[in-house]
Amino acid sequence: MRELDPRSKLLMVICISTLAIVYQDPWKLLLLLLCTILMLAWLDSGWLSRMHALAKILPLLALLFLLQCLFTRQGVPLLSIHGINVLTDQGLAMGLGVMLRIIIIIMSAMILLSSSERDFLLALVQWRIPYEIAFMVMVGLHFLPILREEALNVYYAVQMRGTELQKISARLKIKLYTRMLLPIISGAIYRAEQMAIAMDARAFRAYPQRSYMRRLKLKKRDYFLQITMVLLSVILLI
Amino acid sequence: MLLETQDLAYTYPAGKQEILHEINIRFRPGEIAAITGDNGCGKTTLTKLLVGILRPGTGRICLGGNDIAAMSLAEIGRQIAYVFQNPAQQIFCTSVEQEIGYGLKNLGLGRNEIEQRISHYLDYFELSEYRQTFPLSLSQGEKQRLMLAAVLAMHPRYVILDEPTTGLDIYRRKLLGDYLLRIKKDGYGVIFVSHQVKFIKAYADRVIRIEDGRLSDGRGDCG
Repeated sequence: MRELDPRSKLLMVICISTLAIVYQDPWKLLLLLLCTILMLAWLDSGWLSRMHALAKILPLLALLFLLQCLFTRQGVPLLSIHGINVLTDQGLAMGLGVMLRIIIIIMSAMILLSSSERDFLLALVQWRIPYEIAFMVMVGLHFLPILREEALNVYYAVQMRGTELQKISARLKIKLYTRMLLPIISGAIYRAEQMAIAMDARAFRAYPQRSYMRRLKLKKRDYFLQITMVLLSVILLI
Repeated sequence: MLLETQDLAYTYPAGKQEILHEINIRFRPGEIAAITGDNGCGKTTLTKLLVGILRPGTGRICLGGNDIAAMSLAEIGRQIAYVFQNPAQQIFCTSVEQEIGYGLKNLGLGRNEIEQRISHYLDYFELSEYRQTFPLSLSQGEKQRLMLAAVLAMHPRYVILDEPTTGLDIYRRKLLGDYLLRIKKDGYGVIFVSHQVKFIKAYADRVIRIEDGRLSDGRGDCG
């Protein structure tokens, strides 16, 4: 289903994310998660191979779940220790809600993996978003893996100069992480400068009108999907 | 203190194909070894394995007979220094002096000893005039010299440089080569990755060629 228009996919992500943010009930969120998984399976976007990324944030999700459970005081107590309510039904619902919400948003974003970034650039432009802004968004996404690699290099370099990151205090760690931003930001600025020169050299924004080799065309199934998604979302929200 | 790889093999986590297979090499102090080979053959991967940034799939890397898998990056860094292809990625202090002093403070050295080593290495690498300069404003060659100074000041046993000649003109390349010869004379083991045949011929005692993830002659101990 790679041939589905990228605008349809963007709209799907917007609708699912909006519902995930608005819904509070964990049962509704669970249902939404199931729908998202079904859509991913239908789109065949290679989402299963990327599930390890979700596994990496599981500790963070667990922490959020715990915090929500512990700090929500309203509702019927489910667990009390020495007269102090540790867990309430509302706390449990809030914890599950936050966890499911993040999972849905991440998984819905995986829908976008089934199209190339160039397709999304065209989609944004055809949605009348200025090319400069659409291009910047795409370049930003493109640079993320490079920034990650650079950040890792700095992280290794700091340790190789004798810093035992596991053994230093939290205060020193924060100070060190702030220092580590220096080469990362400097590298990003340098790369942005080089890219700006390269783009200028290839006539970026030299003329007000820009031509495109290819134009995206909505097919019947795109119209059907877009209308259904929007209508369904509106009905579910009301 | 020998640095050696024993039946080393490596596959990137996301990849299915092995990048390096059955690598057996021995590096010695007081020797300059060049690692060369086509793009993507696994040269940089090998150097990252040697310093513990990557952990081998199978086989092991030993420093003085001890497996480096049991050591932290900080412990390895005290014995094996690494200079990235882009030294700017290793600079995180706000002056040249602080950059050299950073590792020395981690070693727990006294104030006088730190001051002495900073002055010595600034002089050694002709950086004295830049003592208070913001390191990221230096030229590529100067940044490289600064990183060499910063890692050598910690007195490691080995120095590994990933493509050190990239972006250097003939004069700067010669300067770098001469520095390598000087540090070799001081007893350091030097390992560098390069494509520059002339540079390798001029400065390396030993050439290790990697082809499709294997040593081209099957041995890493040849002269």
